[in-house]
Amino acid sequence: MNETADAVDVKKIRRTLNKNKTQISLSLKLCVHCALCAESCFLYTHRGKDPIYMPSHKFINSLGRLHKKKGDIDRKGLEEIREIVWERCVLCTRCYCPIGIDIPGMIALTREICRDQGVLPQFDEA
Amino acid sequence: MFYDIARGPLALSAFLIFFTGTTFQVLRFFSLSKKIHKTKSRPFRLSKDLSTAKPLTRSRAQRLAALKVSIVGVNPIMTIVTSIFHLCLVVAPLLLLGHNQLIRESWGISLFSLPERLTDIMTHVVIGCALFFLFRRILIARVRSITTVSDYLILILTVAPFITGFLAFHQTHAYKPLILLHMLSGELMLIMLPFTKLTHMIFFFLYRFFIPHENSFGCGTRTWYFGGPRFSFKRWYFGKDEFDIEEW
Repeated sequence: MNETADAVDVKKIRRTLNKNKTQISLSLKLCVHCALCAESCFLYTHRGKDPIYMPSHKFINSLGRLHKKKGDIDRKGLEEIREIVWERCVLCTRCYCPIGIDIPGMIALTREICRDQGVLPQFDEA
Repeated sequence: MFYDIARGPLALSAFLIFFTGTTFQVLRFFSLSKKIHKTKSRPFRLSKDLSTAKPLTRSRAQRLAALKVSIVGVNPIMTIVTSIFHLCLVVAPLLLLGHNQLIRESWGISLFSLPERLTDIMTHVVIGCALFFLFRRILIARVRSITTVSDYLILILTVAPFITGFLAFHQTHAYKPLILLHMLSGELMLIMLPFTKLTHMIFFFLYRFFIPHENSFGCGTRTWYFGGPRFSFKRWYFGKDEFDIEEW
């Protein structure tokens, strides 16, 4: 990979994050980490009940991570987030939050950020 | 000295901060969501006769099947424990005889009180449920995977007034320092409530009643608005963006 493809446009990420800042911080704050959303994800139930497929786990580790670092993330971090939002989530919007956090909306927002950076699902791999 | 401060100005400011914070959060919810255009989109339960997501009449077997895949059927123990915990958490302090006595002494009016024995049992239940949450957090892998230090702190913050109040009520140890701790922890909880994870007390009702989805209570009329708050004091003051009251 060359230098230009490796660089991450932090400003662009930050712009998207700031646009939805209140939504994101409120959703992160409202998640009481109860793990009741786990069984609503079919990937969680069908892949050995691995906690990494839990909706809240996906949301906290993708958008929560971006929000915490204020968009300051490297290519490797983005690749990890790509795996979360594109491989571990199919955006079927069936996840259920007892408090009512819009988890699919948050995942979709993360996908938007990834798409802006050219981090897309890779179907030719594996 | 400490006792007087905790009883007088600190208690008053705690209640003021609690109510102001709650109002602020409710207003924030409305600035973060928008009205649904009924003609443009028709989500699950906007109107009963237009509902296409679910048939209006369901047999008992269908209801049972729906319950089985719902959160109650999947996690029955957690649902029951958390419902009882939250019910006792709110009811016990509000309808406690001692609290109502204090309110009557200062304002002349108060709510009705439950018998002291019942509120004592409720306090036991709250502490027991909190222990259940603590062990659940420690023992179950999927809960542990997303647990942070703040979760433990929030749990301690919630239960601290109950433990101190319980000990003070039964007068097992020194009464005076315990009741002081009880007041301080209760005030701390009230102050923190609108600004920490405990805001779920406010937002649970807002989210579940106003945002329509298949698990909401009743027919919600609002939906999420992505793209920042539509109303900010800065924008309102400088008047850069037109603020449409019809949409709000």
